[in-house]
Amino acid sequence: MNKEAPLSIAERDFILDALREDVRLDGRGADEFRPLKLSFGEEYGHVKVQLGKTSLIVRISAEVAKPHDDRPFDGIFNIAMELTAMGSPAWENGRQGDLETYVTNVLDRVIRHSNALDTESLCILKGVSCWTIRADVHITDYDGNLIDASCIGVMAGLQHFRRPDAVVKDGQVIVYGLDERVPAPLNITHKPLSVTFHTFDEGKLVILDATRKEEQASEADVVIGMNNAGDVCYVSKFQGSPVDALVFVTKTTVALEKVKHVNGIIDKALQADLAKRSKGGLAEQARAENDRPVA
Amino acid sequence: MASTTAAAASQPAAPSLALPPSQFARLQPHAYLLAHLSPPASSQQPSIRANGRAPSQFRVTSANTGSLTHTNGSAVVRVGDTTAVCGVKAEILHTEDIASWSVSHSSSSPSNKRRKLTNPTEKPGEDREDGSKDDEDDDNSYIEDFSLLVPNLSLSTGCAPGFIPGAPPSALAQSLSHQILSLLHSSRLVRAEDLEIWYQRPNFGAEELERHNEGEQMDVDAGPEAEEANLEAREIKAFWVLYIDIMIISLAGNPFDAAWTAVLAALRDTKLPRAWWDVDNETVVCSDLVSEARKLSLRGLPVASSFGVFEADAAAGWRAVVIPDAEEERKLAESERKGIQRRWILADPDGYEEGLTQERVSLVVDKTSNGKVKLLKMEKNGGFAVDRKELKDLVDISARRWDDINQILQRC
Amino acid sequence: MGGPIAVLHPLDRADGSASYKCPSTGSNILGSVNAPIELPGRRDALKPEEATIEVFVKPGTAPGGVGERYVEGILRTALGRVILGREKGYPRRGVVITLAIVGGESVGRGGSYLPLLPALLHTATLALLSASVPLSVTLSATVLAVNSAGEITREPSAKEVTTATSLHVLAFTSKGHLLLNESEGTFTFDTWDDVYERALAICHGSSTFGSDGDVAMAETTEGQPLDGIVRDTVEDHIHRDYAWKIDAA
Repeated sequence: MNKEAPLSIAERDFILDALREDVRLDGRGADEFRPLKLSFGEEYGHVKVQLGKTSLIVRISAEVAKPHDDRPFDGIFNIAMELTAMGSPAWENGRQGDLETYVTNVLDRVIRHSNALDTESLCILKGVSCWTIRADVHITDYDGNLIDASCIGVMAGLQHFRRPDAVVKDGQVIVYGLDERVPAPLNITHKPLSVTFHTFDEGKLVILDATRKEEQASEADVVIGMNNAGDVCYVSKFQGSPVDALVFVTKTTVALEKVKHVNGIIDKALQADLAKRSKGGLAEQARAENDRPVA
Repeated sequence: MASTTAAAASQPAAPSLALPPSQFARLQPHAYLLAHLSPPASSQQPSIRANGRAPSQFRVTSANTGSLTHTNGSAVVRVGDTTAVCGVKAEILHTEDIASWSVSHSSSSPSNKRRKLTNPTEKPGEDREDGSKDDEDDDNSYIEDFSLLVPNLSLSTGCAPGFIPGAPPSALAQSLSHQILSLLHSSRLVRAEDLEIWYQRPNFGAEELERHNEGEQMDVDAGPEAEEANLEAREIKAFWVLYIDIMIISLAGNPFDAAWTAVLAALRDTKLPRAWWDVDNETVVCSDLVSEARKLSLRGLPVASSFGVFEADAAAGWRAVVIPDAEEERKLAESERKGIQRRWILADPDGYEEGLTQERVSLVVDKTSNGKVKLLKMEKNGGFAVDRKELKDLVDISARRWDDINQILQRC
Repeated sequence: MGGPIAVLHPLDRADGSASYKCPSTGSNILGSVNAPIELPGRRDALKPEEATIEVFVKPGTAPGGVGERYVEGILRTALGRVILGREKGYPRRGVVITLAIVGGESVGRGGSYLPLLPALLHTATLALLSASVPLSVTLSATVLAVNSAGEITREPSAKEVTTATSLHVLAFTSKGHLLLNESEGTFTFDTWDDVYERALAICHGSSTFGSDGDVAMAETTEGQPLDGIVRDTVEDHIHRDYAWKIDAA
């Protein structure tokens, strides 16, 4: 269950033959991402990612909770992803498929286990209360490369998110509303992203950011997770036919370049959004001041 | 047609109609019920449901409380062949185990939590006495915020043919659980003050401590100034959490009414032991004296009644419903003039009737002491038949049902 | 107060989709419909004479729970009466409606889904239209809160919901039938009657129904009737889709 309709032989051959001639169906080069568009919602931590025809929405939310007993100084961070029939008709609502488990696992390793979000900074009162940060990934359109798109979404969301300010007063935690005190950004230690490669022809042909059809025609996939500094935090060769070890070496360089590029896009989008927000805020203030003498 | 089936029943050997009524009921359920409800004018028979009830008649209901020994309160309710068992188990939840207990939101609500904790002089208990609006809001937010009521409904294996062992909770069971939970919240049936476990600072002496713990149920007669003094040093240390487990052991239609009546009866039966905070052991201690246990003081008696709408046409027709509407409207007006009934609102539908009705109405009503009818929930879904006028009639029927249930619950 | 913003067919992959945003309640819903579709996993539950309708509600920032199952049940019953599941190609197949809450506050455990219900209904209706699923009627819905002073507020904000004594969701078909009513809290029948009047005015305006079933839209104090918004959204979309044809003519 939860399988896309398989490619026809003719389609598969067409994709492969084209790749052998170094042509991709959408005219991209082998090491090229599809156009990436990021937009932010009104709420903090609401990101819409559009990577080619793959699109998704990430929502980050924060809640005060009790920390785990064995880690009283740590906050909690979870990434939740559920594939629904919205993303693809092949996915059944309410049933977990292999893809979902796989992508959730990769996201967990690239972002959560590499400690991109400093969970210690989420502690409010030792052993009593801490912030729980939850990232919900809603896949709205699926056209391949779920891993990279979700990674971009979650990282952009974490950087965009502001949690309400909380202070401890006589053992009592007071949470201030977003309009009362300037909300605090999350403490991001580094910005890891994943880059997914797909291989064809026994590993001779390698492309990145495959579309759904290219994914279906491929033999194996290789995921490399790394940050701007070039630290590799995740490498996987999960399934399919064997891949030459050299691919990992050569493609890590490509991945670094891509990670820097995408992080650049995220930064730019964040800054644009910030500028928009502060301008809106200023305009509001100006209006309020103008109103006062009248009233 | 009812007359022919009746004839078939009396003369099973009649060759012209060899089908006994029970088989006819299975083969043509819609026609069977329709024949009962609209007998030919010539036959002089009253319009009656296949189960022998009048359209607005409920099934025989009985309730029995206190039959489960290891619960704080329990009830078995039978509505016809639908049987629900409900057990209420109280567990202690320490406030330090509640993550949001020590958190207050400065903006969203002028938090009652903070007021009670950091500022105990601000009389958390006083509004309890006059039963003002504030108190109700307080109550509600405690019960909702800390999930002090946890209902869970299960449709047990074999309660109806479709329920097989080992299956996860069905969508029906889940939505019934939610309906019960949200009705518990919106009707504010249980008072939060019944579930609070307090700590009295010792400097008031032992007798004070006694007094305040009983004070929960006798705060009305306690002098306000004495109460005020007490409050200075009071602090909530724990809550009772009520786990309300409902099991439908036999499902023959209308599970909600039976389940809710069972919850109501079980909560009326629930007794909580006297509990207080023991400062030396830093724990909550319960008294094992039965005489000290107290009952919950519930707010009102909300009674649920459900209805199904049986339609003469469309519903069971195999032909496609192409133009249901503009035409339908005209037909409706016409037939009403001719006096042909096309729709029947059936109270408390059984399993057979539920299979034939699409449109459902569910009402929860309560009566105040002066006999005024209050609505607590009114749901209608799945059809075009019930509109304003019909709902008004149903409210009256539900009010009558309230009297019946009230009597049944008083007796047990 | 701005009216709701609806967009038809924002998604690529699903057969039909719609996004709906209600500024006053702050809810933002994205809906998709796949229909008719084979449901291989539910073979035993499929009905031979009509389509199986499946509704899935995905909360924005929390895992799904019993509350979602409940609201799914409400939506399924209401839409089941509107979708013509016996049309050719539909029996034995599924109509899968997926609604994701992509903006606004989430509903807590045991919390009321009523403030979100109209937005969910509108999104589902628009998504069904966008997927060209045959419908007998369209519907429009609204949520009203009554506070202790007896004032009726249309599409209340989260704060107004907490102070309300009763909440009502009413859905009307495009022919003026009451399709759905969900009321909770404490109220009397007379209060509900007032709510009904108000809701009818919000959904349909104070319009009269023409004999040909065509509805004359009249702007009233309630602003544009909600029924008209559904209609306008579809009309706008058709206008865009057929721009080539209209321009050529």
